[in-house]
Amino acid sequence: MINFNSDETPTLWKRWLSNAAKYPEREAIVHWIGGEEPVRWTFKSLLDTAKKFSVMIKKMGIKKGEVCAIIIRHNPYFYPLYMGISRTGALPAVLAYPNPRLHPDKFRQGIEGMSQRSGLDYILTERELEPLIRPLVERPGSTIKSLLFPIEWDLDAEFNAKEDSDIEAFAETIKETEPALLQHSSGTTGLQKPVVLSHRAILNHVKYYGESIQLSENDKIASWLPLYHDMGLIAAFHIPLSYGITSVQISPFEWVLAPILLLEAITKEKATMCYLPNFAYNILAEKIDPEELEEISLKTLRLTVNCSEPVRDESHRKFVECFGKFDLNKNAISACYAMAETTYAITQTEPGVEIKVLNVDRTELANGKVKLTDNGTNARTCVSSGKLIKGCEIRIVDDKRMDAPLGMVGEIAVRSVSMFDGYRNYPEKTAEVVEDGWYFTGDYGFKFEDEFYIIGRKKDIIIMAGKNLYPEDIEDIVNQVEGVIPGRIIAFGEDNSEMGTELVSVVAETKLEDDKDKNKLRMDILKAGMSIDVNIHKVYLVPTRWLIKSSAGKPSRKANKERLTSGADPQVWSR
Amino acid sequence: MISDELKKVILTQLNLDDYDLQDDTIAPSVPGWDSLSHVNIIVAVEEHFKVRFKSMEILKLKNVGDLQKLVDTKLKK
Repeated sequence: MINFNSDETPTLWKRWLSNAAKYPEREAIVHWIGGEEPVRWTFKSLLDTAKKFSVMIKKMGIKKGEVCAIIIRHNPYFYPLYMGISRTGALPAVLAYPNPRLHPDKFRQGIEGMSQRSGLDYILTERELEPLIRPLVERPGSTIKSLLFPIEWDLDAEFNAKEDSDIEAFAETIKETEPALLQHSSGTTGLQKPVVLSHRAILNHVKYYGESIQLSENDKIASWLPLYHDMGLIAAFHIPLSYGITSVQISPFEWVLAPILLLEAITKEKATMCYLPNFAYNILAEKIDPEELEEISLKTLRLTVNCSEPVRDESHRKFVECFGKFDLNKNAISACYAMAETTYAITQTEPGVEIKVLNVDRTELANGKVKLTDNGTNARTCVSSGKLIKGCEIRIVDDKRMDAPLGMVGEIAVRSVSMFDGYRNYPEKTAEVVEDGWYFTGDYGFKFEDEFYIIGRKKDIIIMAGKNLYPEDIEDIVNQVEGVIPGRIIAFGEDNSEMGTELVSVVAETKLEDDKDKNKLRMDILKAGMSIDVNIHKVYLVPTRWLIKSSAGKPSRKANKERLTSGADPQVWSR
Repeated sequence: MISDELKKVILTQLNLDDYDLQDDTIAPSVPGWDSLSHVNIIVAVEEHFKVRFKSMEILKLKNVGDLQKLVDTKLKK
């Protein structure tokens, strides 16, 4: 293991500088492109290019503390650009590149919402997005000062040694307690919460999480995860970069089209680790043509970490069964519990040890009690998310935020040396979830022996393929569809065991009775979802006054979901 | 031009009665056709036409017309 001392290199830039000095020729990032030769950055070449970017960043007038949103597709220059921003003391914030299905107005609304909340100062993007984003910059009162196209910059022509040395001297003055980056939670129309993380929080995490996964100089992380997601950004980008090991970065757009790319990258680059949300285990195990797997070998893979959506034992089993014959060690399967507010992970299962699975009595669990059972029909299989990582604490609390007795299910509250510094410009939201230094996660779980099991959520967030979706966003957009009774809609996540994830379902009240009209309404609802880049999988249409209201007078997601799944109701039309 | 046969396979997979699929139709413009359903559509097309696509072939597909051409090539039409 590497002796990771964050005191010697207290900021990200200093850490990267140190790595470039120690391992100049070691590969830092292998930028994978399907069907082409990868672009290989060494620690030195990456740092040298980052310096050039930082000179340009300064030349553009970007100052310390200003937020630089990066909206760029899979591009080898993304990494040094990100690092160059960090060197100047500005805050990189990676945002998702818009899917073509996302309506331009909705994309602009999302950026506008983030801009108002986070105070986005600059947007660094590709020329292709200029017509979409430019109107936002030119709008009166916009926080966005300028739109920049860094991929087009002539870095060598603009480089100036004096400015470079001034920036380096300036980077020396950045303190570890100062903000290093901004991450935005999911959501489509301004519900995003900007998480601010300091250099210290990130480097503490690299050290302690690195220990928990027994990271060593021999490790190499392969990832297809998007870098706007905490698992992609922290686990698969910051950790290897700060630790001084190689990461192989695959385009998420390419991976979803050709999932085998990850397996090819692991095989060819001899990767030892990868991070996967649960659905990816199903896709990899079941959706790749066996003929294509002939040259695959996963013998170097010592750890796959399941995170970002509920962990399913069935998905692990499928994966092990499929890839056992491709040299996968079944004990490589692991899981962790993580969130952007604590930089990333809080718990992690022990590497190289078979992941623990409990069969818990479903009825007792519904009453908040953890009772193991052998009764297969009434058992819920719960997969461990592991033990606490050093520097982290967990409490299981009741509705009043008081400690729940051992053996009871409760909300998970966490505290860690890698805690966020609050939601940027959102003190009221921070105060809602942070109390006496504890972050109340809104997740339900329990502790059994010394491991933690996450079993549900207090909030109604839908997690589809690792992406958090707010039902409110979906309900708001469906509310505008003609034929739907306004305010009488709910959206919820429905488990899909084939895909190993939740899919989005919508229930809407309507006065329409004719089957043809209902089919048209369904199509309009699907299209409304598309406009905010949400794929609605199933539509339930119900007559007026069908939906059960909560005590607040709004349709209850939980009660109506239960009503729908409890049995056939002839009044319900679904497709 | 998209054959009725290919169109039927795609629409069945997406649970749609009808949708105007043209050569230049891209997946994100079709209701329900997202990254998760994409893998299922590809598998359904392979099974229906009894062909096998290589990942690199799938990566190069830009629109439904490209998928039609790929199917035709495999069937040596």
